[in-house]
Amino acid sequence: MGAPIEVSSGEQRAAPEAVLAGAAGRIEGRSLGQIAWMRLKRDKVAMAAGIMILVLIALALLAPVITRALGTSPNDFNSNLIDPVLSKPKGSFGGISLEHPLGIEPINGRDVLARVLYGARISLLIAFLATLLSVTLGVLLGVFAGYKGGWGDTVISRTMDVFLAFPLLLFAIALAGVIPSEAFGLSGNGLRIAVLVFIIGFFSWPYMGRIIRGQTLSLREREFIDAARSMGARTPHVLFRELLPNLVAPILVYSTLLIPTNILFEAALSFLGVGINPPTPSWGGMLNQAIDFYRVDPMFMIIPGAAIFLTVMAFNLLGDGLRDALDPRAR
Amino acid sequence: MAAFIVRRLLAAVILLVVVSMMTFAIFFLVPRLAGMNSDQLALRYVGRGATAESIEATKERLHLDDPLPVQYGRFVQGIVVGDEFNYGPEVVKCPPPCFGYSFRNSQPVTALLIDRIPVTASLAFGAAILWLIGGVSVGVLSALRRGSVFDRAAMSTALAGVSLPIYFTGLLSLALFAYHWKLWPNGVNYVPFTTNPLDWAYNLILPWVTLAFLYAALYARLTRASMLETMNEDYIRTARAKGLRERTVVVRHGMRASLTPILTIFGLDVGLLLGGAVLTESTFSLPGLGQLVVDAVFGNDLPIVLGVVMVASVFVILANLIVDVLYATLDPRVRL
Amino acid sequence: MRQRRKLAATATAVALSMVVAACGNDSGSGGGSGSSGGGGSAEYNAASEGIVNKSDATGGTLKYVLSDAPDSMDPGDTYYAFNWNFTRLYARPLLTFKPAPGKAGLELSPDLAESLGEVSADGLTWTYKLKQGITYDDGTPVTSKDVKYAIARSNYTAELVNGPKYFAQYLDAGNYAGPYKDKNLDDFTGIQTPDDSTIVFKLKAPFSEFDFLVANPQSAPVPQAKDKGLQYQAAVASTGPYKMESHEVGKSLVLVKNDKWDPKTDENRKQLVDRIEVQFKVDANDIDQRLMNGQADVDLGGTGVQAQARATLLQDPNQKKNVDNPQTGFLRYAMLSTQVPPFDNADCRKAVLYAADHEAIQAAYGGSAGGDIATTALPPSVVGYEKADEYGFLQDKNGNPDKAKQALQACGKPGGFSTKIAVRGDRPKEVAAAEALQQSLSKVGIKTSIQQYPSGDWSAQFAGNPQFVHANGLGIQIAGWGADWPSGFGFLSQLVDGRAIKANGGNYNQMELNDPEVNALLDKGIQTKDETERNATWTQVDQKVMASGALLPFVYEKTILYRPENLTNVFVNPSYGMYDYSQLGTTKK
Repeated sequence: MGAPIEVSSGEQRAAPEAVLAGAAGRIEGRSLGQIAWMRLKRDKVAMAAGIMILVLIALALLAPVITRALGTSPNDFNSNLIDPVLSKPKGSFGGISLEHPLGIEPINGRDVLARVLYGARISLLIAFLATLLSVTLGVLLGVFAGYKGGWGDTVISRTMDVFLAFPLLLFAIALAGVIPSEAFGLSGNGLRIAVLVFIIGFFSWPYMGRIIRGQTLSLREREFIDAARSMGARTPHVLFRELLPNLVAPILVYSTLLIPTNILFEAALSFLGVGINPPTPSWGGMLNQAIDFYRVDPMFMIIPGAAIFLTVMAFNLLGDGLRDALDPRAR
Repeated sequence: MAAFIVRRLLAAVILLVVVSMMTFAIFFLVPRLAGMNSDQLALRYVGRGATAESIEATKERLHLDDPLPVQYGRFVQGIVVGDEFNYGPEVVKCPPPCFGYSFRNSQPVTALLIDRIPVTASLAFGAAILWLIGGVSVGVLSALRRGSVFDRAAMSTALAGVSLPIYFTGLLSLALFAYHWKLWPNGVNYVPFTTNPLDWAYNLILPWVTLAFLYAALYARLTRASMLETMNEDYIRTARAKGLRERTVVVRHGMRASLTPILTIFGLDVGLLLGGAVLTESTFSLPGLGQLVVDAVFGNDLPIVLGVVMVASVFVILANLIVDVLYATLDPRVRL
Repeated sequence: MRQRRKLAATATAVALSMVVAACGNDSGSGGGSGSSGGGGSAEYNAASEGIVNKSDATGGTLKYVLSDAPDSMDPGDTYYAFNWNFTRLYARPLLTFKPAPGKAGLELSPDLAESLGEVSADGLTWTYKLKQGITYDDGTPVTSKDVKYAIARSNYTAELVNGPKYFAQYLDAGNYAGPYKDKNLDDFTGIQTPDDSTIVFKLKAPFSEFDFLVANPQSAPVPQAKDKGLQYQAAVASTGPYKMESHEVGKSLVLVKNDKWDPKTDENRKQLVDRIEVQFKVDANDIDQRLMNGQADVDLGGTGVQAQARATLLQDPNQKKNVDNPQTGFLRYAMLSTQVPPFDNADCRKAVLYAADHEAIQAAYGGSAGGDIATTALPPSVVGYEKADEYGFLQDKNGNPDKAKQALQACGKPGGFSTKIAVRGDRPKEVAAAEALQQSLSKVGIKTSIQQYPSGDWSAQFAGNPQFVHANGLGIQIAGWGADWPSGFGFLSQLVDGRAIKANGGNYNQMELNDPEVNALLDKGIQTKDETERNATWTQVDQKVMASGALLPFVYEKTILYRPENLTNVFVNPSYGMYDYSQLGTTKK
């Protein structure tokens, strides 16, 4: 790095990992992936988290099948189950019953389980796509800045500074508030998802960018890159054949850790009322609705909150496990 | 050192200019790209009794027809040399730094900012002290007793803390502590420190703890990792070999080295928090900068949005600067 | 966020307006029509019908709280119903509404003026005489010039934009530039002041409901020398029983007794408490909590308690007696855009009216305590309202799919069609109503998608902008409306007059109804001097609008007000749809 003083939270948090990729790569015989996989398999918590994530994804994908089997639907009203004066579910614990295992919504009596399941689709879809976008942007720009250096590096690094100095949530609100109903050949929720993915992904790339830039900077000076260059390898070859494979580990770890951040970001936007269109359920949106009822119908707040919590925690656990598996020194 | 600070300040000014330009561009261009003309923009601020004349007059008063560079120029001019504001029968001077006047209720933004900063600062610093002490001590203890029951319990709690959205924990704690157990029967209501320090603290405890919980979790994890790494270093082994007491090894050598990066992050987080406590302030309805700016964003009150964004950026930049200087003082390898 | 509604409200000064409340006929709240007026005791809904805790006891402090910041505390620059009610404590307009519960509260009473206006034979001149001996809090006598100046500043300046501009619209003032640009008040020819106690309004065209216009706080006098424009709200010159001791704009306001106020000149107000404190921007749920804990006395906004407190209050018999459930005068509705296919066909519109599940929609607004199912365009609290139910909403509370299908057949879409529902995304009740409507329409094959827009630009850019509505095919739009004064004209003129449609946005006739017969009836009505005949005209307008099928009324909104036991002389003034703030006292010292 040009000036060691230019630290930022991203790089600092990356510091323990800055060495891990290369360190693991030097072990003979087994590939990095094999070693990591072996370590990961021994990490029961991470494996459990991984399995839980798979289950979550399956539940999200199968939401229509499950709700049909249970005879519920996310958007059907059950007004007869709502107290007409108090607007809250009849019965205790948010109207939990055999037909509605997680209870029903206040006001209109929609099935909470069905809405949580369908909400998982939205949360996971947006989080995955946004992560993909920010990782792509972050890796491309980070590698470019780190490898090329010079004014390109300066421009990208300063841009990242600007992004990191911004109160991003505000801009997200401002942008999400003016989404037209049709644009770019998309309309309705398709457009809304696209815009949310763009906002979340676009605003979180600098975190990835910083880490990748730091890694690239240190890798650039290493022998095998020098060797490749001195043997006359062209830039694309160096980038894709030599550099990128060594970046896979941090990319993987930080992508896994970026997903829960993005789930929280999406939930926060929905919570602030600029998320997905109704009646499509989302977890943040459900929490937002719960604000009016959390003292008289606490279940309605706890359930979407728990869904967010468990999902985010599972991704964090897996991310931690991956990091440990890929970093021998932390073990 | 002096040269370094001058260079950094210069960079900070440039950063501020870029941030303000981007803010301006987003709030200026997005509605126009979405197809709004200046009549419609004026309608935002006129209300139900809009007439052709009042729309025209509002456009003129808020300069909505001016092109982007002219509007931006006026904004910069206000900060540097001050501005004037027409209250109707008389024109009032607004001394620099003048952030203009609210589009909604014509209050001077500078005064609004000065009014709101203590709230956010109270929230941020109180929570910061809590989480720094809590997070770091738990992290250090966990690292020293790695694998123990304490370590596992602390790290599980920390993980849970990182995974909870703050508005959820905030609402939950309000529901339980404030209303169910009636510890804050009237909810959380900010009281200035100067009015009554006890009331000030009493009303902020819940937001402090909620906010601190999230960050303490993060810091415990970071501290633990950093501490583990340091304690494996050669010089620690050397220190132990010299026969130093374990306490001395941990405190003098281990903690000093492993806490330097934590301090760095701490500075940055506090800086960011001062401008970005949006969700916490919203959840607890604290009248700070975060709430001011969310209100302003929803109300299309550009001068206030700009004002808060500028203040927030200044905090981030200042925090950056302080951290850098601190870093250089603490870490002998770094020269400015 | 807990106060998202509050955020939204910041951006929607527009939507809150002068409101008019029930006279209790079919509000389902029991009791007579408010003629009793005796010193009733605390009972459920007692203050909607009569006066609770009648008392002349003086002293004490009243604490008001508000979840938002008002547009302005300047009587000349506010459009909030609660402020038209509250500013009377320190500003006296020419006329005001009678401080009485029930129907009597809809009647006008002379305030600054000696009597109601005298209209000339041609209907173009309205004359008022000011009472003698009224002064400001500094002792300066009030003159008719001050009233003229007050109306000039609130209607003819670029700075004071919040209030309505009816005087600018109806007075014959030529190209008057307003008092800030033209310091010579004599250039304002729309109002003449032959002497210090006479004020004469010159109109462009006859306007039979002019008395209602001068009941607006804009006619409260302002001394030209003290006017600081937008800063005037910080220190308003008082003519009422209270004056401003301190006012931190957007934060807090303290009123104390005005010793220059003479009760002999004022039959509309009381001066019971020593001090009135207002705190702005308190979280809505905390407000309810404070009211119930005795830490606050009145929610200034008068919009009722939040869902949390509502459930607590209605479940507890000891608390329920301290609850009132009056109508607010707001109509909540969906408009079907007559310019967006297939709603250009009346039968397609009627299919929606028949298919709607009124009970589910009512639930979205808070069930029976949140509003009564609406069947007319005019709410019951407005003169001109006649009970009617053309489409049988009350018989088929969950919709009538058979008739809906017949209507679909008639409009040539037997299998249904697709359209969009536009809704203000930051209004949870309206979003819930949109979802309920969507559900019931899907049962007859009408597929809808819900589009959310921010309420701040709702009328300027989205639903109120015909170009946008057409381009985006927003067939159904969900909104609400309250009258500026409690008559058919005051309620309907902006909603249904097709000539008032603004092509460039800012439109409230979002169904774009432009029926020449409706327009003609509006003109005829406002020029009719005879009150009975005039009100019959408003009924006709209502029927025409309902027959068009373009308006789907949802509910006549009701609110749940908490009435702390220490408050005295509490009643709901139907003109404001909330407690009458000019009468309140407290037993707490």
